[in-house]
Amino acid sequence: MAITRPNLLTDAVARQKYADGVNLLKREFTGPTTKSLGIPGPSRPVSTYDLFVVWHHTAMTTLTPPTQGDRNAAHRGPVFCPWHRFMLRQLELNLQRVLNDNAFGLPYWDWAADGQKTTSQQKKSPIWASDAMGGSGNPVKTGPFRLNSADPQSFRIRIEADVDGKLVQRRHGLRRAIGTTVSTLPNKADTTAVLTLTPYDVSPWDTTSSGFRNRVEGWASPGTPALHNRVHVWVGGDMLPSSSPNDPVFYMNHCNVDRIWEAWLTKYGRRYVPAQSAPTFLKGHRINDQMSSLLSAPMKPADVLDMKSIYVYDSLSV
Amino acid sequence: MPTSRSTVPPTPKSIASYVKKNARHVKKAQKQQHQSSKSVREADYKGHHIVVRTHYEIEVDGRVVMGHLGVSNDGQVHYHPVPNLSFASAVDMVKQLIEIFPDDFGSKAHRMHRKKHSARDRHKHL
Repeated sequence: MAITRPNLLTDAVARQKYADGVNLLKREFTGPTTKSLGIPGPSRPVSTYDLFVVWHHTAMTTLTPPTQGDRNAAHRGPVFCPWHRFMLRQLELNLQRVLNDNAFGLPYWDWAADGQKTTSQQKKSPIWASDAMGGSGNPVKTGPFRLNSADPQSFRIRIEADVDGKLVQRRHGLRRAIGTTVSTLPNKADTTAVLTLTPYDVSPWDTTSSGFRNRVEGWASPGTPALHNRVHVWVGGDMLPSSSPNDPVFYMNHCNVDRIWEAWLTKYGRRYVPAQSAPTFLKGHRINDQMSSLLSAPMKPADVLDMKSIYVYDSLSV
Repeated sequence: MPTSRSTVPPTPKSIASYVKKNARHVKKAQKQQHQSSKSVREADYKGHHIVVRTHYEIEVDGRVVMGHLGVSNDGQVHYHPVPNLSFASAVDMVKQLIEIFPDDFGSKAHRMHRKKHSARDRHKHL
């Protein structure tokens, strides 16, 4: 039977379980070390949660193909939606494992609902309360991921991308600068508009494409981040570099993006392009190409187009 | 239909095993360094093939910035370590990098200290 992914703000139990599960994965060490992953500095164990950070960064720095400078193995091209669905599902399976709860469904953050509020109200949304994701700051001082410098088990950023695009070891509290770089979230007009767009993606299959994928990723307005991108930028801090899964809100954003994609698939049919017959310069983005993986066996976009038997959303009203 | 890979529960042992197998991809990504960024844009127009090659070298306070900068066909520049933003200007982009990566550029006090020392060193050599 399929599990249900709930709205973070209306399901206090899921919210608490998510925070508990993240903190458990942050404290789980299965063997990989910074040395075994080529991360400079003293060799230290890498937690399961931080392995997802490493995975996202690695996919993002893998150009597909290496002869061009736009598309990578998880962004800026057709694979954006399926790769993140693959990543979310792997996190969900790991949360179920450490929570010992096979019915746990990853909650989503309906950021477009918050985007309907005034600029100042957006910053005070219940998602930033102590019983949800905590607030803004350097470091964040409220909520389940706040820094308690006296507690070595406290939530800390241990691996992040530096300005040169390399993973480095760090030790600091979670950072957010909510509403600083851009002042507003996307709103319901944005999400309604993106659902009118077909096809899924189209040539040149990059950040200048028309179609659903490029708009939901947030590249359609040059110089102005939109939808998914805008949420990263609005939260700011650790949500900005390629190591953005360091902020647990990353998954709440992407779960909502996945919900929007699911609404699109439900409306237009479970279609994906490019087909496998597309030229090799689209390798890594075609329907049966292997997607970048780290903690599990790889998957293909075709494997994740229909997940109804595994999970459903409590609402597809985006 | 989803494959069984969507439902197979991971274990600490399976995670360790897959990470060991895939670590080479992480290591390869870690070795990417760019003293300069080259970007090639290509387009076809009325039977003509257009190639535009762009070359960037970036420094901040004398420190070479070595991530990869790309230019998309609409002229926007983007920087791979900052995946959610693009910019009309490379200078604007570097200003944002200073905001986003505070640990890599040091505090204002640290820079002032360094500037003061380098000025004193220059004076000594006069």
